[in-house]
Amino acid sequence: MGTERTDPLRVEREELPNGLTVVRQPPPAGASTFSATFVAPSGWSYDRAGLEGLARVTSDLLPSGAGKRSRVELARFLDSRGGSLGSHADPESVDVSVHGPSTEWEPLIRVLADAVLRPRFDPEDIARVKRQMHERQLRELSQPGERVEREFLREVFPVGHPYRLTGLGTSSALRRIGRPELRGFHSSHYVPEGAFLVVTTPRPLADVRRAGRRLFDDFAQEKAPPTPALPSVPTGPRAARSLAMEGNSQVEVRLGGASLARADARYPALFLANEILGGRSMLCRLFQRVRERHGLAYHASSDVQPMRWGGYWHAQAGTGPERAQKVVKLVRDEVRRMGEELVRPSELELIRESAIGEIPLEIETTSGAHQLALDVAYNALPDTYYLDWPVTLRSVSARALRDAAQQGLSAEGAVTVLAGPVPR
Amino acid sequence: MPQRSGRPTQRFALKNGLKVILAPEPKSLTASVWVWYRVGSKNEWRGVTGASHWVEHMLFQGSPKYGKGKLDRAVIEVGGTLNAFTDTDFTAYFITVPRQHLAVPLDIESDRMTRARIAPEEVERERTVIRSEREGNENWPEFRVDEELFELAFRRHPYHWDPLGFPEDIQRLTAVDLKSYYQRFYGTKNAVLVIAGGFDPAALRREVTRQFSPLPEGGDDPVVTTTEPEQRGERRSELTGPGTTPFLEIGWKAPSTSDARTPATLLVDVILGGEARLFSAGGVWGRSHEHPSSRLYRALVDTGLAVRASSEYRPKVHPSLFTVHARAAKGVPLARLEETIDSELARLGRTGPTPTEMNDARTKIRRGAAVAYEGATFTGFRLGYLSMLGGPGFESDLFHRVLTTKASQVKAEARELFQTDRRSLVTYEPTEVTGGN
Repeated sequence: MGTERTDPLRVEREELPNGLTVVRQPPPAGASTFSATFVAPSGWSYDRAGLEGLARVTSDLLPSGAGKRSRVELARFLDSRGGSLGSHADPESVDVSVHGPSTEWEPLIRVLADAVLRPRFDPEDIARVKRQMHERQLRELSQPGERVEREFLREVFPVGHPYRLTGLGTSSALRRIGRPELRGFHSSHYVPEGAFLVVTTPRPLADVRRAGRRLFDDFAQEKAPPTPALPSVPTGPRAARSLAMEGNSQVEVRLGGASLARADARYPALFLANEILGGRSMLCRLFQRVRERHGLAYHASSDVQPMRWGGYWHAQAGTGPERAQKVVKLVRDEVRRMGEELVRPSELELIRESAIGEIPLEIETTSGAHQLALDVAYNALPDTYYLDWPVTLRSVSARALRDAAQQGLSAEGAVTVLAGPVPR
Repeated sequence: MPQRSGRPTQRFALKNGLKVILAPEPKSLTASVWVWYRVGSKNEWRGVTGASHWVEHMLFQGSPKYGKGKLDRAVIEVGGTLNAFTDTDFTAYFITVPRQHLAVPLDIESDRMTRARIAPEEVERERTVIRSEREGNENWPEFRVDEELFELAFRRHPYHWDPLGFPEDIQRLTAVDLKSYYQRFYGTKNAVLVIAGGFDPAALRREVTRQFSPLPEGGDDPVVTTTEPEQRGERRSELTGPGTTPFLEIGWKAPSTSDARTPATLLVDVILGGEARLFSAGGVWGRSHEHPSSRLYRALVDTGLAVRASSEYRPKVHPSLFTVHARAAKGVPLARLEETIDSELARLGRTGPTPTEMNDARTKIRRGAAVAYEGATFTGFRLGYLSMLGGPGFESDLFHRVLTTKASQVKAEARELFQTDRRSLVTYEPTEVTGGN
């Protein structure tokens, strides 16, 4: 790798006195934009009982008016600078991000600080976001792809587990969420301790540090909330679950279970195992077997969702009701093979070199490169993690891969959920 | 105007008619090869609807040098990615690779441009895959409404059907049909090859000439002569099915890319829905994002009538639709949304945009255009897509015309566009959601 190629793969970081960690990543050569993200320990696993949905409503409201700007004023300001502001929540954390031309660094990073520290929670915005959230709750129940995801997580994780829910809450909980609850959650969960400011920019770390000290120093509280409890995940054989959803054309299939955390030493082997099973687009086994050999489905793939406290994996496919059981069987067979057989050296070599070769594609754009920096920062991976990624992957043996698959793509105890026009 | 950061774009044509666009970006670590064919569902006829899309699938199923499975493997084993998509007006294929492997996609594209196999047994196997793709889309009410809207608005023109084709045609089409379709429309005269990223343009030009010049001249780009008769009277349809809250989509007949009205129509879209479309970073394709300062958002979402509201004008080769989409908030009847949309559109036609709105729209377009090119893949997409809509100067000319369009022209266009007897409207009322919290 040449110097240019390696640049976005190496991050620099520094912890500020208030506990906020600033992380800087160079952008891809030739890029004229920057991305900045504040990552807070404020995901929906921190929702209190009876207030499910609070974390996601809070997250949705951050870009909806902040500091002295109302939502419309903020939108117009961003348009005038060519910037965009958004937020994304998951069970563990919330990302608040700004993206725009590098020349607009100062005004846009200030907007990010306003969104993180000074959200307005205007009553009309709260009402709007709650209306939108309610519609998403209904979508989660009525759309087979979303319903199957919801039920899959409920099958895998026990009550009280942070990954069991999708964060949308319930309509009754939503009714209880008001400005005091939002302000309270924001004060206690948007804190510097355990938070990150990750910036992909040509500016030096010193500039990022200065921005961090100058603009992100006015938190209501500093201490991070305690990590939620992690009840143990049941293992052993599980019955398949079918959800009949009339009026749809296709059955959505999910099969999977609990998996490894992102920082687990076995993750690189698990990553490769998943790529072989269903992650490496047209070359993976599920695509080849389900679509290319048997022509049973348009999509068939698998994903691993590794997070800080653990993770889960699932294989997925969409197919007609008359083909659903055959697809389930093929998927199950392939999953079982991953944990039972050693992958042939040629297949391992092919997938591994493909994964290594794609690194330049991942850093084509600022926002693509930024995702790698977020991964490194949030999961406490080494600064040169992606620079070393080729060496790491080449050190994975077929045996290590099979062992990781047994742990992180386990057929034993995998749950199967179908949603759509399944035969009753 | 939208600027690329690398060296100037080069355009040339081979003797067999293949048009080539090279967009060198010396610092790029990747190279992206796109082939755009001027064939899409607009070229189909009843009985062979979906043929363009099916042929697209078959171009991954084998050619002389790349038997089934070899093509994907050749790209993915070097870390590349590949895909394709079919629209009403075109079919596009792309392969992005680390730049040192640029020879791989060039070899593949020259091999499958005129020599794809389209074997009967692969066509049969792919039939279920295509059915499955369509069924997956049908799970989304938005797809069903969109399809219904175009079927309603276009009675004769091929925009009547979705590029996926009618289910009965998916069931009926044969390998012979597909091969004949491919042989007619695929070829050097009907294609644009776009390569963006890290390469030496002089050397690449030689390589492109070496690889593609031997291909025989071919590929039909027939003018679609079927024109849609002028719509005289509103058309409405009501759908029901699984879903969340009721929603509606309204479509008005809108100008094609070559029409002088296009710049003003694009501005109507920015002011009503907030998307800068052709002049935004990544916003050319797909559904609209939230734009709180847009008129529809303020009239429908801010007021609590809707949870989402957007407009969309994606100019096409032939006159198409300007659409408005709104999803009701709980308990709000669709009639109320329709009334509010009508009132907003009438207001724009009556009083035109404010100076602030015009200024904001122009700024948004200028700002979006400034960062519209980033990364080899998106650059290749953008250059190819624009080449399907117009000639080499299309982008700069349209950009200039949009920015010099006056508020009075936007007002006049809104009046011309939003006529009730030229609109089609589809409503969707969800049936009861089963299951609970």
